[in-house]
Amino acid sequence: MRGMLLTLGSMLLTVAVVGNAYYQKKQFYPSVVYITKSNPSMAVIYLQAFVMVLMMGKITRKLFFGQLRAAEMEHLIERSWYAVTETCLAFTVFRDDFSPKFVALFTVLLFLKCFHWLAEDRVDYMERSPNISLLFHIRVVGLLTLLGFLDYLFVSHAYYITLTKGPSVQLVFGFEYAILLTVVVNIMIKYVLHTVDLQSENPWENKAVYLLYTELIMGFIKVVLYLTFMTIMIKIHTFPLFAIRPMYLSMRALKKAFNDVIMSRRAIRNMNTLYPDATAEDLASVDNVCIICREEMLGNGSSKKLPCNHIFHTSCLRSWFQRQQTCPTCRMDVLRIPANSSAGQQRAPGAVPGQQQQAQPQPQPQIPNWPGFPLGGGGPGPFWVPLPQQQQQPQQQAGTGTSAQSSSAAPSLGSTTTTSSTAGGMYANQTNQPFSIPPFAFPPFFLPPPPPPLPQADFSGLTNEELEALEGEERENVEARIRCLRNIQTLLDAAALQMQQYSAVVSSLRRSTRTTVTSTTGTDPSGPSVSAPSTSKAPHEVSGEAAKPSTSNQFQAPSFSKPESGDINQEATEAVKNGTVIDDSKDLVHQEEASSSKEPNGHEEIRRRRLEKFSKPLENCGPQETSNENCGPQEGNHETN
Amino acid sequence: MARSALRRLMAEYKQLTLNPPEGIIAGPVCEENFFEWEALIMGPEGTCFEGGVFPAKLIFPPDYPLSPPKMQFTCEMFHPNIYPDGRVCISILHAPGEDPMGYESSAERWSPVQSVEKILLSVISMLAEPNDESGANVDAAKMWREDREQFNKITDRLVRKSLGLAPA
Repeated sequence: MRGMLLTLGSMLLTVAVVGNAYYQKKQFYPSVVYITKSNPSMAVIYLQAFVMVLMMGKITRKLFFGQLRAAEMEHLIERSWYAVTETCLAFTVFRDDFSPKFVALFTVLLFLKCFHWLAEDRVDYMERSPNISLLFHIRVVGLLTLLGFLDYLFVSHAYYITLTKGPSVQLVFGFEYAILLTVVVNIMIKYVLHTVDLQSENPWENKAVYLLYTELIMGFIKVVLYLTFMTIMIKIHTFPLFAIRPMYLSMRALKKAFNDVIMSRRAIRNMNTLYPDATAEDLASVDNVCIICREEMLGNGSSKKLPCNHIFHTSCLRSWFQRQQTCPTCRMDVLRIPANSSAGQQRAPGAVPGQQQQAQPQPQPQIPNWPGFPLGGGGPGPFWVPLPQQQQQPQQQAGTGTSAQSSSAAPSLGSTTTTSSTAGGMYANQTNQPFSIPPFAFPPFFLPPPPPPLPQADFSGLTNEELEALEGEERENVEARIRCLRNIQTLLDAAALQMQQYSAVVSSLRRSTRTTVTSTTGTDPSGPSVSAPSTSKAPHEVSGEAAKPSTSNQFQAPSFSKPESGDINQEATEAVKNGTVIDDSKDLVHQEEASSSKEPNGHEEIRRRRLEKFSKPLENCGPQETSNENCGPQEGNHETN
Repeated sequence: MARSALRRLMAEYKQLTLNPPEGIIAGPVCEENFFEWEALIMGPEGTCFEGGVFPAKLIFPPDYPLSPPKMQFTCEMFHPNIYPDGRVCISILHAPGEDPMGYESSAERWSPVQSVEKILLSVISMLAEPNDESGANVDAAKMWREDREQFNKITDRLVRKSLGLAPA
């Protein structure tokens, strides 16, 4: 109503001014001169022009937008104020060029800007309205085409003018329209994305990702444009104060877009790797409504289960994780959960049966509690303590995956071998005592030290996922490769350690057995007969082992047979017991203590490092290793006896 | 993103129409735009707001339910947790990371689990038990603590006003 009055008033004034001029001068040309010479008349004419522009704007708005919504109007007014103040600032820079034409150009720019904002709001509104009419599409497409065309026209015009007449105020217009052009392109892309989304019945999950990347690229172009504009303006004119605010805003938008893209990538990666798909049973056991979108979840891989057992749509969860890495329901921090548990859950179903079997914990050795163990506290200590630990290691390695990693069974199990073989050597010495350890105590102790599994030459131990992780140029691929190499390094270290232990043990064994043999050879000619019946249970174990003789085996055999031979030379036994052998065995114990005290440290170190590295253990071990470990016990007995 | 927001808002609207909780009426201002809702909240019984019917508007962001809506009473309110312009200050309406009063733990902030119904129920309980530690309206908080009688007088006037009655 007020607008109508204003329009009417300005019309009347214009008519009055023109009529007055014509009435006084009677002719067209003199009256025009009269009006331009008279300032009040010109003011009226300018007012009329302004009203005309406003009316044009209103008509265009009606044509392309119909009724504006309250929010759109609010946005428009808010942004217009900034635009007007910035335009006034621009006037101060170009006060030399100040002319009605200049003002008119700025007005046009302002109007076009308004339409860009409105178009943006409209396209955003597309997502919010339940029904989008055909008219809406026609209007938006028409408007965007028109705006794009106008922007292009103005940009090329400014470019041409600047080239022919040198830099002028057209520079500003050129940049302004170039930026508006990017806005139009951005809106256009959004519109296309929204339209595609509207056409499809199901929500289009990747739309958000495309939108993010559009935002990022457009933001980048904008910032580059603004920076170029700044540099040129500073060189030619002066510091463009009016461009600071929009430049700052676009930089902030770029930063936000960049952050969003990073967060989104992280969220997607986490979604794909960390959390298992919810199965039909999972969904059946709970209310199968996704709490984020309040829609039903179907067990077709479209939903994910968090470590806290809450289930959501993959897409809903992804967009939430872009903001926050917590469970929406219980607010558990999903990043703090050790990744290996969830990774294990996820991979286990896909693993081949052999791998599954590997992943199962190995039976814990039954460690008998021997109160009367002849060596007392000093003896068993170094031997017994490492055992549970070493037994855990294969389990843990079962969880780790690549062929290189799986061969890491070597150090731990190998060291079991050394421990038990030296132990065997010592027992051999000890058996000279009549009241010595019952031989049947051996079996549970001599645990399966399987031979080190050989690393596989090909990639058959790796799952496709892991192979994929090693390929490519992405950061994570490179990291995966580095991890793999680190594993190999760890294994090499462990192997070196193991070799040292071997050599230490072998040398000590040589010394001890030499004395034993010398002291016993004369007393027992039937020494080598290992399978004598009186050895109660032991021979059973011992009998089969000849297949794989080892140094310790050969050396120990004579002394082992001591107790079974009925006619033991008491003196020799006594000599052995009181004399050199005891000393020697003590010596051996010392050495063994030294080596074993070193050994757990080494293992602890390796274990710790490995735990650190494989916070996300890979779950595969080749079936060969399974068999290796299964046949371990017998071989272990060979070596130990 | 907003597409799913629309679907969820429609689902919530349906839910609220089918089983309306006591003392709450809420729905979109117009069917064209589901992102602006109007709500009528009845003052809880046994409090100084008893009997009043207070209109409020809810503005939903395009990424609802990932971000919380904004709620503002459109009538005059006098309450420690309601800004003088009608905006409601309760923790579940704050996205984690923003904490205007600096006292909330993130556990009571917005999460997609919340809904319009829960917000409105929280507002009702807020009307019943103001939290005078978060002073969205410091005058009201002070009066609530120190001069309950005066506070009740003001709210009584507001209740009458909300019902369109002449002040007593």
